[in-house]
Amino acid sequence: MNAAFADPAAWPICIVAGLLMLAGLLLAGAKIVPPVLSDILALAATAAAGVLAAVLAIRIGDHPALYWMGGWTPRQGQAIGIAFLADRAGAGAAAFAGLMFTGAIWFARGYFAGARNHFHVLMLLFLASQCGFFFAHDLFDMFVWFEMMSVAGFALTGYALRSSSLDGALNFTIINTIGAYLILMGIALAYAHANALDFSAVRAVAQGRPDDPVLIAAFVLITTGFLTKAAQVPFHFWLPDAHAVAPSPVSAIFSGIMVSIGLFGVARMAWDVFAPCPAVRHLAHVGLISIGCGSAIAGAVMALMQRHVKRLLAFSTISHVGIALIGVGLLGQQGLGGSLLYLAGHGLIKAMLFMIAGIMLSTLGGIDEIGLRGAGRRIWPAGIVMGACALVLAGIPVGPLDAGARMMDAQARSNGLHWLALVIGFAGALTGGAVLRVTGRVFFNLGPMTGEEDAAPTDDEREHANRPFAAQLVPVLTLLGVWVLLASMFARSSERFALAAAHDMALGADFSSRRALPHMTPILPWLPALVAVAIASVDLNRHRIPDVVYDRLMGLTRPGLHMLQVIHDSVIGEYVLWMMAGLLLLAGIAIF
Amino acid sequence: MSALDVSSHKAQATIGRRGIILRVAFVILAVGLAVVAWPVVHAMPQFGSHPLPYGDRVNAIGPAERHITNMVSAINFDIRGIDTLGEEFMLLCAVTGGTVLLRGGRGEDRAASPGHVKGRANHRPPDSLRLLCRVLAPLTMLFGLYLAINAMLTPGGGFQGGVVIASALLLIYLAEGYAGWRDALGSEFFDAIEGLGAALYALCGFVSMGLGLPYLAAFLPFGTLKNTFSGGSMLIVNLGVTLAVAGGFATLLIEFMEETRTLKPGDDPDE
Repeated sequence: MNAAFADPAAWPICIVAGLLMLAGLLLAGAKIVPPVLSDILALAATAAAGVLAAVLAIRIGDHPALYWMGGWTPRQGQAIGIAFLADRAGAGAAAFAGLMFTGAIWFARGYFAGARNHFHVLMLLFLASQCGFFFAHDLFDMFVWFEMMSVAGFALTGYALRSSSLDGALNFTIINTIGAYLILMGIALAYAHANALDFSAVRAVAQGRPDDPVLIAAFVLITTGFLTKAAQVPFHFWLPDAHAVAPSPVSAIFSGIMVSIGLFGVARMAWDVFAPCPAVRHLAHVGLISIGCGSAIAGAVMALMQRHVKRLLAFSTISHVGIALIGVGLLGQQGLGGSLLYLAGHGLIKAMLFMIAGIMLSTLGGIDEIGLRGAGRRIWPAGIVMGACALVLAGIPVGPLDAGARMMDAQARSNGLHWLALVIGFAGALTGGAVLRVTGRVFFNLGPMTGEEDAAPTDDEREHANRPFAAQLVPVLTLLGVWVLLASMFARSSERFALAAAHDMALGADFSSRRALPHMTPILPWLPALVAVAIASVDLNRHRIPDVVYDRLMGLTRPGLHMLQVIHDSVIGEYVLWMMAGLLLLAGIAIF
Repeated sequence: MSALDVSSHKAQATIGRRGIILRVAFVILAVGLAVVAWPVVHAMPQFGSHPLPYGDRVNAIGPAERHITNMVSAINFDIRGIDTLGEEFMLLCAVTGGTVLLRGGRGEDRAASPGHVKGRANHRPPDSLRLLCRVLAPLTMLFGLYLAINAMLTPGGGFQGGVVIASALLLIYLAEGYAGWRDALGSEFFDAIEGLGAALYALCGFVSMGLGLPYLAAFLPFGTLKNTFSGGSMLIVNLGVTLAVAGGFATLLIEFMEETRTLKPGDDPDE
């Protein structure tokens, strides 16, 4: 083989450019390429991209390598061109993205029959831009891929263009465009003082002037933009709206990998670029942990109050990504590795859940939990998978989600933050309980009486019913198989890999100590799952609770819940105000 | 989503109160942001301040190492060529997305009588307009080609040239009416141009690799300075951009024109 292709450092660009080229050719041949061939080509390409990235992650090992496009290597210490970085963090993330897209395209077979192969073109561009984002080692190049990802996301969200999906897609577009604009301003500020866009070059400048307000402002703006994509409180309002209307295979991608990308971007910025600034480390620690906690708690409470299943899952995504954000904010390699592993575990589970939501939409003809009560009994296998996913979300001590949570917890304990386990448990219990409640009601005909979820927004939508149930369940079971592998055979190696990826991302630095995983009593790890089961049982058996007790309980929680509902049931202008408030919060933390 | 009764007095009062709260909140937040931005604005470089080491270096590289005089092209197509690859496909993505959204609303079938708006007479364009457009359209297209071809010498290039070429198509539409225009051109043709142009860009990078060079590295002779065909493989990349941009904008024009079709009696505008 040609030496230029044999070098593993060249594989990232081969992945990205190969996917792009295929997308262009598919578009050019839109009229002549039969749908089956489009399916096969797209599936083969996403799977190949994932496998190549995985091999790269193993081959590159301890020696991350830069690859300068066009051979424009730095001259006299000044970066001229753009580099891709081949390291385990980026390659691992790209491999996971390949898996997610393969699953989603497989699940979507036949869904987008009307749009020729435009769906495949958009999905290939979506994956290519995500891989480009993972490998980019240049601020503006990262932004280019980020923007392309947003454009593909906007188009795929509004695919079923009805008035309600137009609302959701517009909210998504406007909020994310504002976020992207903030990132661009931040990049301009960084360039103003660094005169370079390459990560290492900006880092070197930050080393020389660690208290430069321009660089700190750049970090604040860029972080705000990425947190918007990561749908963190108070930048999260677009996610439930977008998720509620996006086709379910697209939702699987959004929650499975796209929101995690915002978090990946924040971590890259904090560790790779701006780490020499003490104010940035302070902001990353205080700001990310508080925003993460806020998202974990608010998302979990909101999830429990939903009846539109996709909105419910969207809020649970906000909650779980919030927990992963805390892991980034702990400023230790162990916490960062835990965060990455947690995101992978969450992405797998959430993709499965959105696929099941898609199955509900196509075979049951609805997505409203209350309206579908008992309708799912004939597709009970989906119900069993959903229940299992709910328990994993709640945090049963098996699998990558839990392993990541334990790593973050260990890091938090060595930082003296012993309460992190409580937040993780709280988020798990409420989101797991909410999904369990849906499972019980839809698939097992429980819960005749409704509670606070009754007032939540809902929608009367459905998806094409042209696909057999079994064919839709296969990709779900495949992802479940991957999860089982990660939970059993590869449990140890996935933990080791996550730590190695965090080591690469942190450039070997560690701003806080780590220690061994805490030894716990055997009952404690099961507690959140038990609480989740308890919450679901209470919600499903409301008709058996004496009125006095029930009214007392509801009276206590109603004002708070009502306020959360009102905040989330509003217009785009208010969402933008919340963004401003969040930006001000981050800036304030950076200053004080 | 939720159907609220917004006509009642109570609802109106609530909306009004909420509006006032929002305005006050906006003013407070804006002032707060201005306050925290103040030290940053103060620390920013002055307008027009030099030295700018990166710009100086690129200005030196263009003529010396690539034999071209338009530094913007040197950055776009060579030094930061991978960004342009991304931008190229971002445009393709946006156009494809727009197509999907518009077709999603109207279905795949072509309208029988496009370019007609209900309730408006569809006059044949006056002869003076047709003559003017028939003269201007080829000239505009020629100008677009000129812009695109001279990318290495003067301001311009594939992006600008491609847009101008596509706007010449708009003049043809003015002269010939939509139906004639669509029959003459066809959206599949532009899809193909757009996709192939963009793929050509990505392929050009792989050709470099096939020759044992890094991705997108120059592999053709650079030619002589101030010659139209200087710059080496940047010319190929520029051609790809021209095709993709012209095809992309033409596709967008066609899709928006199709939107003007008259709805059939059974059509639901919301489906």
